[in-house]
Amino acid sequence: MSEPWPELDPVIHAQARLRVMVALSTLASGDRLTFPRLQQLLDMTAGNLSTHLRKLEDAAYVEISKTHERRTPVTYVALTPAGRRAFEAYTEGLRALLGPRGEPP
Amino acid sequence: MDGEGELSPAESLALIEGQRAELRRRRGVRPELITFAWGLAYLLGFGGWYLALHGVVPAAVAGVVLGVLGAIALVLPIVLGVRASKGMRGPSRTAGAMYGAAWGLSFAANSVVQSALQAQLKPSWDVTSLMWASSSLAVAGLMYLAGGMLWRDVPQYVLGVWMLVSAAGSVLAGVPGNFLVLAFAGGGGMLVLSAYYTVRRRG
Repeated sequence: MSEPWPELDPVIHAQARLRVMVALSTLASGDRLTFPRLQQLLDMTAGNLSTHLRKLEDAAYVEISKTHERRTPVTYVALTPAGRRAFEAYTEGLRALLGPRGEPP
Repeated sequence: MDGEGELSPAESLALIEGQRAELRRRRGVRPELITFAWGLAYLLGFGGWYLALHGVVPAAVAGVVLGVLGAIALVLPIVLGVRASKGMRGPSRTAGAMYGAAWGLSFAANSVVQSALQAQLKPSWDVTSLMWASSSLAVAGLMYLAGGMLWRDVPQYVLGVWMLVSAAGSVLAGVPGNFLVLAFAGGGGMLVLSAYYTVRRRG
């Protein structure tokens, strides 16, 4: 365990949630992914993904919408504008921490 | 993976870059495969037709090659497009579906125009082949222009311009030179773009 990084958003700074945020950030604004597709892209179990999505939803970083299509329930996931901003701030925070010697952007 | 593992900033940034690249790849349509399939269909299909006109290969063989490769090239983007947009909703998917439908619509309209002109003018076989091949290439060129604009993909736009030039060039070349223009300029252009996409994907 390394020392904690208080400057970094703790909601995003955990491997599984970071992967979720990256996946959703590759969507264009207004696009959404179904829960099973996100699960497949991330190769996570449904339970694990649900847990992390709930935490991101509590922070208002992701928006989860449940609808019905041809009587089948479908769950869509997307970043909220606040989530997109938080992810950008997080990435900038990483670059700032790493400084000029850090990983190339 | 417990998902709560503490990451160093360097690991975290590496994860972001790696995952972003992987997702772009998995959610994309593999354009290098599509352009390769079409390039091959043009090169061997129309190249074969040229050879058939010179009696080098039987016309039936050339026809089958063009038909089979053309069918593969037609089905492949549909399969890849459907797979890439699986589980996705929103403006990008709508734009992709509109773009895919535009191929079908414009080729259908062109077929009606060409068939009707052919029925009325009763042109020679040479003129008929010029009309069909050049107009198909022009429609494909316009679709590449549209694709270049839609996905802000300048190389694709350049291919579209090249296809329009080839379409005009094929008519000016006349039969049977037009088949060489289709094979090497049309097919060659698509294979060059396929090679470019392959290099960009690795790079």
